[in-house]
Amino acid sequence: MPLNSDVLWYKDAIIYQVHVRTFHDSNGDGIGDFQGLEQKLDYLQELGINAIWLMPFFPSPLRDDGYDIADYNSVHASYGTLEDFQKFMESAHERGIRVIIEFVANHTSDQHPWFQASRSSRDNPRRDWYVWSDTDTRYKETRIIFLDTEKSNWAWDPVSKSFYWHRFFSHQPDLNYDNPVVREEMWKVMKFWLEMGVDAFRLDAVPYLVEREGTNCENLPETHAILKEWRRKLDEHFQDRMLLAEANQWPADLRPYFGDGDEFHMAFHFPLMPRMFMGLKLEDRKPITEILQQTPEIPPSCQWSLFLRNHDELTLEMVTDMERDYMYDMYAENKTMRLNLGIRRRLAPLLENDRRRIELMNGMLMSLPGTPIIYYGDEIGMGDNINLGDRNGVRTPMQWNGEWNGGFSSAAPERLYAPLIQDPVYGYQAVNVLRQKASGHSLFNWMQSIMSVRRSSAVFGRGSIEFLHPANHRILAYVRRLENEAILVVNNLSYSAQAVELDLRPYKGNILIEMFGKNIFPRVSDLPYLLTMGPYQFYWFRLRRI
Amino acid sequence: MAEENFLTDEFLRQLINVGEVDILVGLPTHNNAKTIGSIVQTIQSGILRGFPRERAVIINADGGSRDGTPELVTGVSIDDVRPASNLGALRTLHSISTRYSSNSSSANGVAFRTILAAADLLRAKACVVMSPESANIEPEWIAKLLRPVYNDGIDLVTPTYRRHKFEGLLITNLLYPMIRALYGLRIREAFSPEFGFSGRFGNQFLGQNVWNDGVEGAGIELRFTLAAITGKCRISQSFLGEKDRIERHAVDLVPALRQTVGTLFSALEPDFPVWSVVTGSQPASTAGSEQEVLLEPLRVNRKRLREMFLSGISELESVFQSILSAATLAELQQIAQLGEEEFHYPAQLWVRTVYEFAASYRKSVINRDHIIQALAPLFRGRVTTFVKENRSASEDEVESNIERLCLEFEQQKPYLLEIWKSKE
Repeated sequence: MPLNSDVLWYKDAIIYQVHVRTFHDSNGDGIGDFQGLEQKLDYLQELGINAIWLMPFFPSPLRDDGYDIADYNSVHASYGTLEDFQKFMESAHERGIRVIIEFVANHTSDQHPWFQASRSSRDNPRRDWYVWSDTDTRYKETRIIFLDTEKSNWAWDPVSKSFYWHRFFSHQPDLNYDNPVVREEMWKVMKFWLEMGVDAFRLDAVPYLVEREGTNCENLPETHAILKEWRRKLDEHFQDRMLLAEANQWPADLRPYFGDGDEFHMAFHFPLMPRMFMGLKLEDRKPITEILQQTPEIPPSCQWSLFLRNHDELTLEMVTDMERDYMYDMYAENKTMRLNLGIRRRLAPLLENDRRRIELMNGMLMSLPGTPIIYYGDEIGMGDNINLGDRNGVRTPMQWNGEWNGGFSSAAPERLYAPLIQDPVYGYQAVNVLRQKASGHSLFNWMQSIMSVRRSSAVFGRGSIEFLHPANHRILAYVRRLENEAILVVNNLSYSAQAVELDLRPYKGNILIEMFGKNIFPRVSDLPYLLTMGPYQFYWFRLRRI
Repeated sequence: MAEENFLTDEFLRQLINVGEVDILVGLPTHNNAKTIGSIVQTIQSGILRGFPRERAVIINADGGSRDGTPELVTGVSIDDVRPASNLGALRTLHSISTRYSSNSSSANGVAFRTILAAADLLRAKACVVMSPESANIEPEWIAKLLRPVYNDGIDLVTPTYRRHKFEGLLITNLLYPMIRALYGLRIREAFSPEFGFSGRFGNQFLGQNVWNDGVEGAGIELRFTLAAITGKCRISQSFLGEKDRIERHAVDLVPALRQTVGTLFSALEPDFPVWSVVTGSQPASTAGSEQEVLLEPLRVNRKRLREMFLSGISELESVFQSILSAATLAELQQIAQLGEEEFHYPAQLWVRTVYEFAASYRKSVINRDHIIQALAPLFRGRVTTFVKENRSASEDEVESNIERLCLEFEQQKPYLLEIWKSKE
């Protein structure tokens, strides 16, 4: 299957997020690798995704799961070689699967040679590649992100006897983007991978590139200028490549990252995700419609990126205090499930392994405006291990079958990078790919089916959205439209059956065709369109004049 | 179970859209456009503060307002209400309205029945009815009336208020002491436009055969309280704060007596098995003060009250002869002879008067409505004395005088039982 050559391919994509380490170990050392990942591309193709987002696979001391990079232009030895990566990428492309990699631009590892040189002396040519200070009082208005571990954004370096700036862990010094040499060097890093054939970058932590006194050091115009410059160079040298912004911000603050279509192609819609969980628990569409109504229009070539879960905690930074308390009480009663300002759990356990709710949430993920991202393992309902520290509980090995190490690795279990999930409900003997592929009603098969339906219409990826406002607040209903095509989506957020009357008069004369079973529903008239919906049920209807 | 077709189809459609709720706020209205907007905002603010996570609905039962009251109720958005900068609504808060004909004198009962039926269908756990006229309502009132129900399993929460010592004289001189003496529970405000109740008790009351009894006005709320007592429900009181003062004309007294005393007297007959065996009284558990009294000067026209008493005694002698014992009537006629300064209607005589009225009401010695009307001049006489006795009284002294009257009602209860039985 050839790659979709459309420059807007990312609008129609279904992205699968995976860490090489977690997916498949080809050489029996207990750690997933590129050869293993390549071996599983058929599985991903069968699932129906058409882009893979790889978490950092670069040389790193791995104190932050690879987001602490020590060499931007190579592959961590545990995962294979640069050649292995290239081969994997070519195999992916042959299957019509695009490859998105991480570009951790804000900071490096403190083990990166650049930082080692920078700290070695105040006269070193690389001294100015990082943000140094004789005091720890600059940029006082900047918040601390990792509240559970960091007390300050400044760390004392005993080698050069001064403070260095870090927005994340203290072992991740921020690069100094006021230095044009740094900016150019980082573009060279991007170019290196783009020339190799990488389709897109997920730019990590983009709001924090530049610091200015008297500001909160986030979303600054100087940061946007750097990002625009990279985009300009990207467009100048490459076609059909994409930049995806990781900026955990409110929609209005996110909007500038799209610029006039000249900055990022895509950005994560962070505030929507917790509100989908909130809406489900409240049985009320209000949190979801509210945040989407606050979401500004973006340029036609741009796209939101939507997700339910990822490798991080379910972030609650972009909610009010009251909403955060509610989310904690509803989804993380056990305090060990809480981390920083979030909840470190996977999708299935968050939804109490309720298949109806898992389907409904995926249904919304696939039908709201944006490109959906599926976190590896969520397609089979994998669980988590909250006894592992930090966010490692949601980064356990992929569960392929019920055999040795769940089919992940032939290594001795104690050599695995992390233990497999083994509890009776989510353990690999119960939840695994092999078993689910054999069952026609498994979550895997259902996910295949919904992705297939989504791919059948460009409306989902490219269409507009118009909310309906039925008086029943438990129903979230919207019409997606693209040119002459319209799709009606109706979601019941309630645990109980609901009746709803929809005002479909603008579509009078259309018949409704349910998109999964292809069955015909009555024609729309001037009367309210009555639907009865089972608990957590959702419908996708194609509106058709016939 | 609500009676079939009692609710309109349109209202039913609205209820379907609301679905199950935790909290239901009932708001009976009739031409309350002047106050209702701010009251609904205060209610919404109270829900946001006290019950931000709960599913809530405001049900407006309107008696055919012509001033746009229902539109004002449904037009206030929860998103306009932000009691604190970081406090936004998590949920949709529905405000729905239904209209009923207000021609009937039992309009208040229709409104309350509508609210109870909605609570039943929506499976509301805790409900509160709020007055559309309480200009000094505070958001905290919602939590004070609902929290004991929602959190502690109380079935009925009645309010207590800070009132002027000469406000609510019908309550302090008749209803509170008599209900306390007969039913054995010290509920200060047995009928009030604001009260909280459990969905469970609401459903139970909805199924009772009270809706066609011609209960008027506030009478339904009194019936509700009495039903809670006789049903051995868990009852508590919550102190709300100052009760706004509503200026009433003297002519308002008869309807007020009809709605309250008439309802109480009516209830005594079916409730006889309960109250006849009660001795003494128990305090109701109360959150906050049981009663607070304001002492600022308030002009009460005692001369006019006494004159109305005197004219009643002279004009209604034949009516009183049917209702009262000869001894009681004679004593009343004696005090009518006293000059303005000497005039004194003692508690002991007042209690005997009330009990004889209650017994006569039961036997319907004359038309029951006439009996209630005949009580009005005597009540005015009693009020004349109460005002005189408490003119300079402190808060404690007022309370102690009311307490003495209550004890008098309790002590004379055997007399009521005696004449009640003798009338049989």
